[in-house]
Amino acid sequence: MSAISAKRKRAIALLSLTSIIFITLDLQGSESTSVLRGTFGVFFRPIEGVARVITRPVSNAWHGITHYNAVTEENDLLREKIAQQEGAAVAAAASVRLSQELLALNGLPTLAGINSVSAQVIGDSPSNFSQNVEINQGSDSGVKVGMPVMNAAGLVGKITKVFPRRSIVMLITDPEYALSVKVINNPEAASPISDPEASATTSSTTTTTTTIPKPQPTSNIPGFTPGTTTLPLTTINVPVSIPSLTPTLTVPNNGALPIRETGILEGRGPSRVPIVRFIDSAQRFGTILPGAPIVTSGGSLSLAPPDIVVGTVSKVTDRLGTSGPILEINLVADLANLSFVRILLYQPITEQVKP
Amino acid sequence: MGFQTTLFNDMRPFGVMAQVMVLFAACAGVVYGAEIGAVAGLIIGLMYDCVLTTPLGLASLVLGATAFVAGAFPYFVRDSSWWNKAIAVAVASAVGEILFPIAQAMVGLGGWVQWRIFAVATVVALINMVLAPLLMPVVRWTLKETLVG
Repeated sequence: MSAISAKRKRAIALLSLTSIIFITLDLQGSESTSVLRGTFGVFFRPIEGVARVITRPVSNAWHGITHYNAVTEENDLLREKIAQQEGAAVAAAASVRLSQELLALNGLPTLAGINSVSAQVIGDSPSNFSQNVEINQGSDSGVKVGMPVMNAAGLVGKITKVFPRRSIVMLITDPEYALSVKVINNPEAASPISDPEASATTSSTTTTTTTIPKPQPTSNIPGFTPGTTTLPLTTINVPVSIPSLTPTLTVPNNGALPIRETGILEGRGPSRVPIVRFIDSAQRFGTILPGAPIVTSGGSLSLAPPDIVVGTVSKVTDRLGTSGPILEINLVADLANLSFVRILLYQPITEQVKP
Repeated sequence: MGFQTTLFNDMRPFGVMAQVMVLFAACAGVVYGAEIGAVAGLIIGLMYDCVLTTPLGLASLVLGATAFVAGAFPYFVRDSSWWNKAIAVAVASAVGEILFPIAQAMVGLGGWVQWRIFAVATVVALINMVLAPLLMPVVRWTLKETLVG
């Protein structure tokens, strides 16, 4: 009996040691743990497939019982939303196209210039303490670690693990997720800065008629215009010496441009909304109001290209001193109901593996 | 584990996923004691690790510890009834669910240590208490010829 017990104790010690070694290897980014997971997946996927087929009726019955009312309500709401957005979608598509053309003409990065791969969400993480989904595209389709993932609404997360025909996506709400973002504040909310010299110069040069058209919204997020397509323009009729010609110059009015400030978005788990921190409380930026849109900031070291919609500000918590406010974010993507996603084939420099 | 990644992954009462792997480890501990329970928990955890995104080996250690805790039950209650065992499984499951984010924090994934873990642990404990009497015969059957015999 004592021999059996000693044997079991040795087994416990050996297995515990193995686990600790695996943890160390995995945290060091060793390839061997990925190989082990991949090999296990080869054997486990068929079993999982069979289990899925067997349990589907039970799962469907559960969803039927628990989600029926919510689904019917959501259906009504979606019908109403579709009706509202059908007209606006055409105008929005034209504006986005125009914006992308303008950005491309100026040599600025656009989402249209980045190839993408569509994928279906095939599973969630089977844990209460990670926010991941599994998709059915992998390295065979050009997917790499670090690539941003979005759906029709906006940013969803990033690729964290890649297998030949599937990948793991870490959602924005995971506490390990952090991303550089821009808050686009409404010009009306910003505090005006009085500059006597500037105003003097302006008054001496601006002479005749000035028309500032109201920006036409092309997005359902208040105050947000995708790209820079609907920036308010100032049209100044400049009188020139040639009597037969009256050329018109169109210049942007800087005072009416949306003001942008960068911060870091951090996930906080499924039960709490993400926050944006490290916003500079500059006077020019003014007071951030709920509803201000949040987009990715881009940049050479950023995890995502610029101007992907992330969400809107839902709550602003001011802090004393220079620490700046904390913004709570309403994500535009519904992470609880992901079906299809798009992976932008854009690998950030920080995620590239050195040969 | 096939049921864990399919059926129980979809069914989330109160937004919390039932943890059959934790349940299996706890049942092994309650039925066969700390040593066999720990070995079973470590092996089950290692398999579970292969489908999780947390560092490989973490769930193994957590489920091993969970089963070991559950295995302490026979020392306290000699002639236990089925409902005693179900309560012991529930307590061990709650311990396991609390241990998991703490273990994550110990390897640098600290964001999950929140008040929410107590709500998660409570729901998982209640679900596992209900499922324990159903799973215990399965545990007796699966471990009979392997670790015990």
